[in-house]
Amino acid sequence: MKLGKLALVVGLLSGTSAYAEPLNIVFTVHSGASNTFWQAVQKGYEDACGKLEANCQMVYVQTDGSAQEQVSNMEAAIARKPDALITSIVDNNAFDDVIKRARDAGIIVIAANVDDLEGAAGNARQAFIGQGFVPAGHSLAAAQWKNFPTTGPIHVLVGVSAPGQNWSEQRALGVTNFLDEQIAAYPDLNITYEKLDSGTDLATTSDRVGAYLSAHPETNAYFDTGFWHAGVARVLADRGVAPGKVLLGGFDLVPEVLDQMKLGYVQVQVDQQPYMQGFMPVMEVYLAKTVGLAPSDIDTGQGIVTPEMVDAIMDLSAKGLR
Amino acid sequence: MRRLFKLALQKPEMAAGSLLVLLVIMFQVRSDGIFLSYDNLRGILGFLPEMGLVAIGVTLLMIAGEFDLSVGSVFALSPMTMAVLMTMGWGFWPALLVGLLFAAAVGLFNGWVTIQFDIPSFITTLGMMFMARSMTVVVSGGFPPRPDFKLIPTELFVAYVGPGQMFRASFVWFVVIAIIIHILLSRTNFGNWVRATGGFLPAARGMGIPTARVKLACFVICSVLAGFAGVIQVLRLGSPLPSIGQGYELQAVAAAVIGGTSLSGGIGSVIGGVIGALLIRVIDNGMVMSQINSNWFQFAVGALTIFAVVGNAWLRKRGRAMKVETER
Repeated sequence: MKLGKLALVVGLLSGTSAYAEPLNIVFTVHSGASNTFWQAVQKGYEDACGKLEANCQMVYVQTDGSAQEQVSNMEAAIARKPDALITSIVDNNAFDDVIKRARDAGIIVIAANVDDLEGAAGNARQAFIGQGFVPAGHSLAAAQWKNFPTTGPIHVLVGVSAPGQNWSEQRALGVTNFLDEQIAAYPDLNITYEKLDSGTDLATTSDRVGAYLSAHPETNAYFDTGFWHAGVARVLADRGVAPGKVLLGGFDLVPEVLDQMKLGYVQVQVDQQPYMQGFMPVMEVYLAKTVGLAPSDIDTGQGIVTPEMVDAIMDLSAKGLR
Repeated sequence: MRRLFKLALQKPEMAAGSLLVLLVIMFQVRSDGIFLSYDNLRGILGFLPEMGLVAIGVTLLMIAGEFDLSVGSVFALSPMTMAVLMTMGWGFWPALLVGLLFAAAVGLFNGWVTIQFDIPSFITTLGMMFMARSMTVVVSGGFPPRPDFKLIPTELFVAYVGPGQMFRASFVWFVVIAIIIHILLSRTNFGNWVRATGGFLPAARGMGIPTARVKLACFVICSVLAGFAGVIQVLRLGSPLPSIGQGYELQAVAAAVIGGTSLSGGIGSVIGGVIGALLIRVIDNGMVMSQINSNWFQFAVGALTIFAVVGNAWLRKRGRAMKVETER
């Protein structure tokens, strides 16, 4: 599906059937511009827009995670009557009305990165391009499980980076779903887990999780719903804890995490391919406008990255492509 | 004795200090003695200098009667500038100097606009908060630069030092800077000018105090301390992310206020700001240690902020009302 669509786009782009008027596309997100992850999405978005010579704008919020600010940005975008609106949907209700109004105005609306928990039934958006967060959390925990001790008791800490936000809560849910399955499957292992508001800042996460590890030295693994466990790896190194004693895993490939993977402190990371989350919505808009193809869902992946893959990925990550 | 007690009650940092002692005891008990363990104390004392330096700068500026909401953004801008310059081949020291000069320039701009156009510093620095954060992203191109950390003398800033390797070098910087600012505030003409400027501006002007220059100096000191704190954090965590320091401006104001600094200027102390910063770190850390539901974290910080300020006001009132015998 993904490759077929990509081939069609490449074919159309190399042919002569380019859309007569430049497309106007707006991408609104729930993050501030300083989040490294979103810069990779923006790079994919701008590269795609560059190929189509489309007029594109990426709009960040000033207060990280502010759905209400994002809705205001969407309303401002709709007033300009763009061809398409791409947006992350971090709340199940807050975006319903504005998305409906955009669709009523004939604007293509595609969700990217984060979707309504109810999926297509949740609002009028036409497609979702991003990671399935619950399955991704599940995949992360399953991949890390191979490194767990074979004898119990086992204690796990799950860091919810942004309590109340879909992306973070769902990833945590995926992890805890997997742990619940193991608790049922292996009652003798005496598996327990706890959740913690771990924060979206390296310093805060390292301080809070460091405190937790002091109080619970029996902890075998820490899962972060973002990439802030890179700070926890530093705490472990400072305390002289050997790599692998406390297993670490999380999401997204940023250079800090890759450094810690090379050192052995982070064993597993899930890559959701942010570049693709910026690139593909633009291509879907192009297809919808030129040949009338309906936008469709694309799962940008639950790719598991392990330390032996780091060298190959490091260069791409630094360039914002992974 | 009674006279000493009255004086103590009137100290602006008294309530926060008492609360700090109470909380440390409570968290130590609730965590089965782990709160004051070696590893945990090292964690708290590792983070404290970064937040503490920002809080000292904000405290000084608030005593002078002004605010700075851009400190969180400057916290990111200075190290980012330094890191980008290093990836361009600059040495550590010149890159650090330029990073701190950027911070000083931000402070100077904040002060100049506030004084020249007679607008609230709350507004000037709110604008600068967004501008400096944006500059951080622009300077880095959105992606964290990767300077060669082997070229940085990190041992001067973040290496563990002292008995039992309990402290980082950053803690020594923090203590030295705190003492210098404390002396500046309490033992020099400049300190008197700062308090007079923040306490009652027209009177300070009438006395011939160069209030504009005093405020400018405080803006610059505040900004440079924030930039330096950011550099320390980046050296500690090895990662010049453009997002660091977000929300620190409010934590720093909260620390200053918890420590007894008056929102209307004129009153406050460096030790109060330090206690306030330490109190916030202790609360955050202690909540984790005590296994309190994490959904209550921000509630606790907020409630304790109000509690500390109310407690401060009450203690000062009691102190003033307390009668002591005068010598005949």
